[in-house]
Amino acid sequence: MKAPRGSLQHKLVALMVLTCTAVLVMAGAGLIAYDHVSFKETMARALGTRAAIVAANTTGSLAFENPDDARQVLAALGKDPSMTAAALYDAQGRLFATYPANLPASAAPRAAERRSIHFDKESLVAFEPVVEGGRRLGTLYLRSDLQALVVRERVYALAVLFAIVGSVGVAFALSTTLQRGITRPVLALAETARHVTEKNDFSVRAAAATSRDEIGLLTEAFNDMLGEIQERDLEIRALNRDLEVRVEARTAELEATNRELESFSYSVSHDLRAPVRHIAGFAELLEKRSSAGLDDAGRRYLDNITDSAKRMGELIDDLLMFSRMGRAELCATHVPVETLVADILREMEQDLKGREIEWKIGALPEVQADPAMLRLVLTNLVSNALKYSRPRSPAKIEIGAEPGDGETILWVRDNGVGFDMQYAPKLFGVFQRLHAADEFEGTGIGLANVRRIVYRHGGKTWAEGEVDRGATFYFSLPERKEAA
Amino acid sequence: MSVLAGLRQLTWMAALAALCLPAPAGAVATAGSAHEYDLKAAFLFNFAQFVEWPEDAFPSPSTPITIGIVGDDPFGTSLDEIVANETVHDRKLVVRRYKTVDEVDACHILFIGHAESKRLDRIPPRLGNHSILTVGETPDFTAHDGMIGFQMAKNRLRLRINAPAARAARLVISSKLLRQAEIVGSEKTR
Repeated sequence: MKAPRGSLQHKLVALMVLTCTAVLVMAGAGLIAYDHVSFKETMARALGTRAAIVAANTTGSLAFENPDDARQVLAALGKDPSMTAAALYDAQGRLFATYPANLPASAAPRAAERRSIHFDKESLVAFEPVVEGGRRLGTLYLRSDLQALVVRERVYALAVLFAIVGSVGVAFALSTTLQRGITRPVLALAETARHVTEKNDFSVRAAAATSRDEIGLLTEAFNDMLGEIQERDLEIRALNRDLEVRVEARTAELEATNRELESFSYSVSHDLRAPVRHIAGFAELLEKRSSAGLDDAGRRYLDNITDSAKRMGELIDDLLMFSRMGRAELCATHVPVETLVADILREMEQDLKGREIEWKIGALPEVQADPAMLRLVLTNLVSNALKYSRPRSPAKIEIGAEPGDGETILWVRDNGVGFDMQYAPKLFGVFQRLHAADEFEGTGIGLANVRRIVYRHGGKTWAEGEVDRGATFYFSLPERKEAA
Repeated sequence: MSVLAGLRQLTWMAALAALCLPAPAGAVATAGSAHEYDLKAAFLFNFAQFVEWPEDAFPSPSTPITIGIVGDDPFGTSLDEIVANETVHDRKLVVRRYKTVDEVDACHILFIGHAESKRLDRIPPRLGNHSILTVGETPDFTAHDGMIGFQMAKNRLRLRINAPAARAARLVISSKLLRQAEIVGSEKTR
């Protein structure tokens, strides 16, 4: 497997090689520094010894004023190429002999009083008193270059460099081999994890680790985790399957029941119509035929029968419509609400005779809805507003719209009798009425129908109101067609 | 400018030059300059450091090293000045003057001047049975059993050492001193 850049393998190798290099560089630097210091000490000691020996050999020359002999002694220094200069001074500090013999006087410094050895910029300098039997006869001056030090340092640096290069090579080879013990199980683990993620296959397992180290533990834990996940996965799948089956069964059951109920209510309503018509018809016939023969009580009874039959008929018609609303196909198109409202108001003109009403109709948008159903909704809400504002003169009715969150909210507001907010949840229920039938006529199906239609369009209905302060009925329609 | 005038001026200049020149150095100009004898005095003193005498040459630890001068003293005060307050091998140094070699007794270094050397046919090897380092300045001093001879060459004072003579007097001359000198032996016939 070719390792990508920045992989664990590369990091491990780099870690070891870098560590090794850093340690060696430090050690090498320390070694060179130590050698530099100790070699300088050695050089100084050697020059000091040499100065002492040469000085001892020149006592005679100084005592008996024999510069030739002194020059001979100094000339022997030439055996060592690092010796660059030497000078012998007499007791008065006058130059007595030099090496090389033609050393210019300017190259010989003033004789020092005391024995001294020091390094200057590019040489090592020693002064040695020449003493015989405790008497100072003169001073010796030696100067040696630092070539030996330079050469030694160069050799040392080279040796250290070779050691570093060699060690780094060995470290690279060793770490490349040794890191496999760490990376192989990790890579196997990563491979397994990828397989699991890509194939969603929880049945695979990472190769069992051979070692009992952290990676071994990790592999084990990973495998345990996979086992756990696999188990859970199977459980979830089983649960899902079970759930789906149950939902399907329940849905089918519900659908069947609903269908039954719908057809039941439809047929009941339908079947009720005929007898109710008969009752109404025969009550009418009876009235025509024998109205004169009835006393006042009888006529009142007959009127009651006629009224009740008529109301029953209306109730049945509403129920049938409600039932149809649940089944009718939605046929959504763009509907200009403004036109629709104008239409509805024109239709209602008859009912508005003799009433003083302040209309306030805002800007109304286009919505996506079934036009017939939307007309039903708006007719319902407007006629409700008219109905419950009957005690007011003038009655104020507002129709408006506002954009909502991905939907359009339409509302109808009146200044009528209103309602107690605690009954708000009941408003949209079938046969739920807050007012007595003799106060405000109605079957109690209108708002239920509104809710049903709005729900089928994917919207919501709600209402706000206060007793004697009017009410506002809202419904929302999603901006995109989302018919149920 | 007349000749006379020129001559007068020349005389004037000569007088001035004579004034500026130092006076001739000492009356012993025949035997060498004063500087030469300063050097020789210093050498005499230095010999004390580079020569070892047998133990019996010093009866007691405080016995000084004696430098003797036979005959006329050419050193003036220079030798006395050199040895004053000096010690060699923890011994003080004294200078003694003798008229003739015969007067010499317990002495360590003996300088025998020109006059006395000429008088002596040969330098006695063991003067008064003492180990005495004999130093002379005649060219044939070492050939006549003298131990160290001074030679002036190219304005330099060189040494000639008769090593066997010194050895015979049980004197040990340091190699450091020998290195500075020409080593010779005694002339057997003469």
